[in-house]
Amino acid sequence: MHDAHRRFDCNKNKFMKKTTKKITVISAALSIGVFSSPMLCAEQLDVEKDTLKFGFIKLTDCAPIVIAKEKGFFEEEGLQVEVVAQPNWKQLLDNVINGELDGAHMLSGQPIAATIGFGTKAHIVTPYTLDLNGNAITVSNAIWEQMQENDEKLDSDNPPHPITADSLKPIVMEAKEAGKKLPMGMVFPVSTHNYEFRYWLAASGIHPGMYTSTDIKGFTDGDIELSTTPPPQMPSTLESGKNVAYCVGEPWNQQAVAKGIGVPVVTNYDIWKNNPEKVFGVTKAWADENPQTLIAVTKALIKAGKWLDATDASGKLTNRDEACRILSQKNYVGADFDVIKNSMTGFFFFQKTDKRPLPDFNVFFKYHCSYPHYSDGIWFLTQMRRWGQITESKPSAWYHETAKSVYLPEVYRKAADLLVAEGTLTAEEFPAVDYDGYKPATSDFIDGVEFDGKKPVEYINSHKIGNKDTVK
Amino acid sequence: MKFFSKIKYPLLKLIDVSGFKVFDPVIRLLYNEEPQKQVRDIVKYMVLPIIFCFICIWAWNFLGPRHKTKSGEVPTPIEVWNVANDNYRFSEREEEKKTAFSLDGDKRKEEILFVKSEIVKLEEKASFLQQESMRVTEEVKVETDAKLAPVNARKDALKAEIKQAKAEREAEAIAHAEKLMAGQVTPDSLVALIKKHKEAVDEEKAKSKLIGDELNEIRDNPPKRLKEAQLAANKMEDEVLHYKKRIDYLTKGNKEQKIAGLIEKSDTAIAALAAATTPAEAVKQAKAVVSSSEAAESTAEQKYPPAATIFYQTKRSVATVFVGFLIAAFVAIPIGIMCGLNRVVMACLTPIISIFRPVSPVVWLLIFQIVIGAFFPDPETHPLFMFMNSPSNPLAFLRTDPAMIFSACTVAMCALWPALVNTALGVSAIDKDHLNVAKVLRLGFWSRLFKIIIPSSLPLMFAGLRISLGVGWMVLIAAEALSTSDGLGKFVWDEFQNGSSASFANIILACFVVGIIGFVLDRLMIILQRLVSFDDGSAVA
Repeated sequence: MHDAHRRFDCNKNKFMKKTTKKITVISAALSIGVFSSPMLCAEQLDVEKDTLKFGFIKLTDCAPIVIAKEKGFFEEEGLQVEVVAQPNWKQLLDNVINGELDGAHMLSGQPIAATIGFGTKAHIVTPYTLDLNGNAITVSNAIWEQMQENDEKLDSDNPPHPITADSLKPIVMEAKEAGKKLPMGMVFPVSTHNYEFRYWLAASGIHPGMYTSTDIKGFTDGDIELSTTPPPQMPSTLESGKNVAYCVGEPWNQQAVAKGIGVPVVTNYDIWKNNPEKVFGVTKAWADENPQTLIAVTKALIKAGKWLDATDASGKLTNRDEACRILSQKNYVGADFDVIKNSMTGFFFFQKTDKRPLPDFNVFFKYHCSYPHYSDGIWFLTQMRRWGQITESKPSAWYHETAKSVYLPEVYRKAADLLVAEGTLTAEEFPAVDYDGYKPATSDFIDGVEFDGKKPVEYINSHKIGNKDTVK
Repeated sequence: MKFFSKIKYPLLKLIDVSGFKVFDPVIRLLYNEEPQKQVRDIVKYMVLPIIFCFICIWAWNFLGPRHKTKSGEVPTPIEVWNVANDNYRFSEREEEKKTAFSLDGDKRKEEILFVKSEIVKLEEKASFLQQESMRVTEEVKVETDAKLAPVNARKDALKAEIKQAKAEREAEAIAHAEKLMAGQVTPDSLVALIKKHKEAVDEEKAKSKLIGDELNEIRDNPPKRLKEAQLAANKMEDEVLHYKKRIDYLTKGNKEQKIAGLIEKSDTAIAALAAATTPAEAVKQAKAVVSSSEAAESTAEQKYPPAATIFYQTKRSVATVFVGFLIAAFVAIPIGIMCGLNRVVMACLTPIISIFRPVSPVVWLLIFQIVIGAFFPDPETHPLFMFMNSPSNPLAFLRTDPAMIFSACTVAMCALWPALVNTALGVSAIDKDHLNVAKVLRLGFWSRLFKIIIPSSLPLMFAGLRISLGVGWMVLIAAEALSTSDGLGKFVWDEFQNGSSASFANIILACFVVGIIGFVLDRLMIILQRLVSFDDGSAVA
């Protein structure tokens, strides 16, 4: 049966080659008759554009995009996708805006910042959250030694976690009194890393500095100087002393451990348990022009996310080894397989002697994380306001409106419904139908402050350091 | 034999023009002309340089691994050679996938069988190498632990010692303070004591740091065979992964298979349409027919989306530099001639030339991204890119995009100046007698230009163009790195960003590729320059 089938396929192929006209295709199809299809059982959408180009930054959390390409999930949706590495977040955003790229792996803060006009202004939207967690803060060996002196509990091969910045504070203050603000690095002004690093420092009373309308570097009133460094340069800046600490995604923390130049002290999982990290972003104009394509892309990404988070009966992540292999190819992340594997297979090296299980360090699909929750957008907006990137006070309603103009759960929902209808996924794997997009209030932060997405201004005011607004 | 002797001088002329004068004695030796002198020349100008090159490579091989930093060590020539092979394999893989994507009929079936049999073999090898790597890892762990154990013991002993010393010091300080309270000692002596204690603490710190360094030294430097075993296993696993991907491209990712699937879908819909009982059902099925046949059509036009290989990147870089160079030449030569002919024009342009010439290519690139970027609001529908990337265009493989144009313009901007200045110099330095002759003959402006001015300034003009091309090639690499235009510059930048154990070797490989291509380009320009020169060309090196 199967061979007979192939023969017919060949016949059809010959027909296909001769023709490009719609009518001929249909008549060719008619003349052959009906056969059951061995593949492509998935319902393909009527996409507006089938050849796409997506950008990414060489970090392991670009995985869903790369996996959707390499495992053929895009192809199942009838999409032919090229995935291109970008040199930095700014260029990536510019390339999405100028149409060079159709979409890209973006920092969660990027679509929001671009939409409200902090930095490059453009209306960017996102139907899909790529992952949770995945970052860590690494300090240099010298700082680590001083932290160990300040807190004896840290002076061990396996110190107790989470580590707060309390033991860092005396070092910062001493340096500040000596007239030197310690230089630290994060990857981009609107990156999760920036907000997490500031959060961690501020939770221990270290002022990370404010952005103002004239100080776009964010140094005002700070006890330290937190500036932008591209991820791949992080380890070398730590070594040269240009930075004494940095917050970055993988593989750059594991790289510091592997090379013995620094010690990751805290992962962002400890700063805020299951915090949203990267999103898949496109311009609003592109989304309006290609609605079906966007749904098809979202479908493929959901499948990729699920593939990445697949576990066996014992809870071991089954596909991560293969994912690491794919990501270690030079046209993707390109770092050594063993380094990528360190963090992606459910473990994390804090020191060469300190390997801990961290099953949720990279979450791509679990906990309904790929859904574009409005509350995630609101958290980023509150941080932008807290640190002064949003210069004036805004009413609560503005936060909700802005989040709703950037996050597109309706697109995600359509893709999810199609996948459920196809039987690829089940309805339980997605948030309930009446879900309003706001995660329940949580106090899973390193300082225990509660975040409720429905009360943005109250949340801003609940922090000691940072801007305060009046509730309107 | 007669022919042989006849081509002697043309041959010598040829190697002279192409700038390979070193081979001159070899040719002369073949013709038995003063053999002793030729052999001497060969030894002096060929053998010695070759020996010198080998000495350099040996020194590199010797010093490289001894130069260690935390970011890695300098790769040896062999490692560079290995990554060159890896890059070659990478491009081969792309070719294999591309073929798999468009194979059909029996060939496809044969290929599937072949690839499947290969997978079995490769998997065997991979699992062997994995085991080997695991064995080495275990072995190394035992070794390292053995090395670490005594140091750790010393560390623990020191820690206990320090703890005790600390307690003792504290007790001593308290005792001293009590004495102070009792008025037996002076406050100064307590301060002195505390100071002494502080010194002792510093000393202890230095000691523990020393031990810590020793531990790190052992942990940071596992034996080389560990890395080698891991890399070998990884390499084989990569190969397995590639073959599995090939199977994907031969089956569900295969173009013809996809089309067949879509046609079948439309067939199903057609059948359903015929059997439809309600109008709504019929409309739905008819829509399905149209959409799946449209999808089949667009699939038929799909091409394999290749990843950028070093060969593709090299081709693109060369194309970009030539585009930039041509723009530069077309702008520089007319302006240069005007400057050379007219001192007022020269005076007007001097400030502009002197200010813009030293500007860095990086600055130009950023400016061009904005200025020229404005002409391509939507690159996909822009006529230039549609023309360049249409399947019938032989240059479609370059995949022209705005980033390439920016890079080319940056090259042009930086390559402009040497050509311009040299042309102006060449024109203004024309022998007065030649111009007088032109005057006597009452030549018009155009014939003066084309018969006298341009021909006599050609040598300098080409000397300038040669410098321009060299400058352009250097600038291009930086421009590509910054603009993400696919090319050797991006290759270098991507490798730097990868930060893998092979990255440094890849960067050195790129250094050789860039160097060799730059050398070839320079030779091309020398040939052109010699061809237009009246002199024997000895003025140019």
